[in-house]
Amino acid sequence: MDAFAASPSKQAEPEVLSPASVLGSQMLPLAAVVLAVLMVAISILVVRRKSPRRGDAVILAGYSDAGKTAILTTLAYRQTLPTHASMQTNASLVALSSSHKTLRIIDVPGHPRIRGQFQEYLPEAKAIAFVVDASTVSRNGAAVAEHLHMIMHALTSLPPSRETPSLLIVAHKCDLLKGTANASAEQLAINRVRTILERELEKRRVSHAHGVAVEGLGAEDAESEMGGLECSGNGEFKFAEWEGGEVGFIGTSVAVGKVARVVDEKHAESDGLSPLREWLEELN
Amino acid sequence: MLDHCSISHKGGVVLWSRSFTPAASHAAASPSSPVNSLVREALIEGRSSDGKYEKDGYAVKWTFVNDLELIFVVAYQRILQLTYVEDLLTALKALFVKLFQPFLTTFVASLHVTSTAKLSSSADTSASWDFSKAFDGWDAVFDKLLRGLEDKAAQERRTRSGHVIRTAAEVSPPAEDISTIPTQSDDNVLDEERIARNVQALKNRLRGRGAQPVRRGRGRADVASGRDSHPGSDSDTTPSKSKRKSKAKVQRKWGDEAPTESDMASLDFSYDSSTSDTHAHAPPVDLSALVDSGSLGTRTQDGLYEVRDWEFSQGGKSADDVIAEVLKKSGQEPKPASGSLGALGSIFARLTGTKVLTEEDLKPVLEAMKQHLMKKNVAKEISDKICEDVGQSLVGKKVGGFQTTSSAVRQALANSITRILTPKTSTDLLLSIRTKLSKPLPASQQRQPYSITFVGVNGVGKSTNLSKVCFWLIQNGFRVLIAACDTFRSGAVEQLRVHVRNLGMLGVDGATDSKGRVELYERGYGKDAAGIAKEAINYARENDFDVVLIDTAGRMQDNEPLMRALAKLVATNNPDKIIFVGEALVGNEAVDQLTKFDRALRDFSAASGGQERGIDGMLVTKWDTVDDKVGAALSMTYVTGQPIIFVGCGQTYTDLRQLRVANVVQAILSD
Repeated sequence: MDAFAASPSKQAEPEVLSPASVLGSQMLPLAAVVLAVLMVAISILVVRRKSPRRGDAVILAGYSDAGKTAILTTLAYRQTLPTHASMQTNASLVALSSSHKTLRIIDVPGHPRIRGQFQEYLPEAKAIAFVVDASTVSRNGAAVAEHLHMIMHALTSLPPSRETPSLLIVAHKCDLLKGTANASAEQLAINRVRTILERELEKRRVSHAHGVAVEGLGAEDAESEMGGLECSGNGEFKFAEWEGGEVGFIGTSVAVGKVARVVDEKHAESDGLSPLREWLEELN
Repeated sequence: MLDHCSISHKGGVVLWSRSFTPAASHAAASPSSPVNSLVREALIEGRSSDGKYEKDGYAVKWTFVNDLELIFVVAYQRILQLTYVEDLLTALKALFVKLFQPFLTTFVASLHVTSTAKLSSSADTSASWDFSKAFDGWDAVFDKLLRGLEDKAAQERRTRSGHVIRTAAEVSPPAEDISTIPTQSDDNVLDEERIARNVQALKNRLRGRGAQPVRRGRGRADVASGRDSHPGSDSDTTPSKSKRKSKAKVQRKWGDEAPTESDMASLDFSYDSSTSDTHAHAPPVDLSALVDSGSLGTRTQDGLYEVRDWEFSQGGKSADDVIAEVLKKSGQEPKPASGSLGALGSIFARLTGTKVLTEEDLKPVLEAMKQHLMKKNVAKEISDKICEDVGQSLVGKKVGGFQTTSSAVRQALANSITRILTPKTSTDLLLSIRTKLSKPLPASQQRQPYSITFVGVNGVGKSTNLSKVCFWLIQNGFRVLIAACDTFRSGAVEQLRVHVRNLGMLGVDGATDSKGRVELYERGYGKDAAGIAKEAINYARENDFDVVLIDTAGRMQDNEPLMRALAKLVATNNPDKIIFVGEALVGNEAVDQLTKFDRALRDFSAASGGQERGIDGMLVTKWDTVDDKVGAALSMTYVTGQPIIFVGCGQTYTDLRQLRVANVVQAILSD
């Protein structure tokens, strides 16, 4: 470089004009600043579009054989198709009739080995519907409560900058319970699910609160404590007093193999899933 | 003769199904249907690569179409042996996909919506989902296909049995065993003439052997038994047997003479170096696989070869580099790339998202992955099965964007390993103990303590880890009784006595008068372990202990009397948890140990009247001796399907950890 500058007159003129020389020495810093501002603006826009503070999907979670995939097919295709255990997640669009919105519903498998897929979809969720089979919950209440505990723990450990998704517990398969004179089948199912889950979750809370757990492997201090069940009041677990937010309860049922009657846009469909449809429409 | 046939999507929706019997249709609608059990137990668990699954008297066969994510399942009675099921599945697969491809693609796309932005296009199609109309002609096609295959199978069976009758009737020289004749009559309706012919032939033969009355008697007994009791006789082997017997008898060689010239050639097993075609005989040895050129030692000036020093913390090569290296070594002969444009074409195909994975693409990558797993101490059979499963689930799948084949395989492998390691039952011991202890009982009964049995081969660390578990239970305020049921090894009882003394001094946070307490129940050496365990549980019940930990003697998995003794202990005492203790250093032996222990426990405990018990959980010890070669954990969970409850990583009482699945997966797949 020095040698070149020292002897400009002797060397031949370079044939290629550099862009810097074209623009002139004063324009160069200005151009650089403009370019930098442009790039910052573009990156801000891209980042903002990529990470919304709130998700826009509804997750259907629950233990195996609760009926999640059947609910999804009824909402998406207006017919209840026969189903078996899901091996992977299904995500489909559902058109809500009265408010003319479409909503994305994600059906996460409930088998214990693959239910971790729920964590991948949690950032996109604006609400979580936990589906419970009301006719068998008295038998497998402990396993269902373990699953629900995992979800509640995930909800309470979201960073505060994101809005917590709302939680709804769906007592499904109400048509297998017989209603009495005082209470309808849905009410019975809801009560049963609520009492059993509260009892099991209380047992879990006591066990985790008073127990000395064994540490997990690995040097990093990823927390192995499963919290998420803190309640106000005297500490005993009740859904009404849960500190993670409001928990709603509804009772639903579907009939496998039934095709929905052809309904026009004005009248709402009144089948076993209408409590769920109303709840979906009330989500803002 | 099928019972049930169904076509469904991996996400759970059943697209079409047909039941052939009312029992099957009833079962198919319930949660315990063969398809549901297949998916839940075999496919999700990932332990299904031997291609068959049996449940409740049904045998189930299946196949996948991976790019449309479909599962084709056929269920039939297990006692039948249907030969056309595989052909039926392949034909079904091809036909269904060909006939309904557009509908299926839209259906699968509707289940994989990624954002709500695409609402306008699908809003009008949502009104037009009519599944019964969509698969309109399929029933007729299926019926025709099934009938064609059944007819072909019936015809084959008929021709085969026809051959048997014809060749058996031609056998006239005395056959060695008379029972070949009566088997021809087990087929269908017995012909009167055929019976008469058989009886005549028999009489002729027996008359020819008149000097051997014993033979005749036995022959008659054979005939009587042979006519009605050959249900399992394979009609295929009888023609060959009779053909073999019709050759002339050759004199047997007794080996007391020198071999003849003609025998010399066949008896010569030495390598003949003078012949020119040894290079064709010798198997090609891949020398580069035997020696890692990066780890060769050095030659000193004297010409001696010195081994290289051990270096800690090897530099990090990413797994992709490793795969590339192995692929380079194994693919020395340049393979022509698929497609007419060659390598460039496949790159373009990948970028536009239409590259479909084929078996040839996957094979080298899977081979490399298998070697990698085995380097991490995963047992060879398990690595084989896992890579086969991953291959099966990826064949035919579309891979798009910038994802290479090896990264797609790596992703699928990580998912598969995570799925195998994730427990399907709760591993929360404290919760189970508390649930059992707080269960309400009728007033007359006393509360039963929670009992845990530790089993395993010799020297894995049962007694050490039992005392670690005991320490943890004491910290949680339980009263623990240790039952010394190892009455064989000298010093076993004294070892436990030392542990109990130490633990008694530790208590909760060091206090000696805390609620947690530990005691030893022992009856010396040489007694029956099952009896000691029973007495220990009674003692615990009388004296209000919460948990009983039963220490058993180490035993080899092949030792049948000892395995029976262990099963007797399990059957008489019915412990709440049977924990198999295995060490992390074990390699291929893990598969053998666990299979035999599990099977022995199940078989013998069911035989001695109790309910069938197998291994309920595992405890992997000596984890600190393997830094990241933790494949033994994967082999053990794959073989049993049960979770790893604890991991022992040291020799003090606090060296007990819980397994983290993410850590183990990362350690296995890293380099």
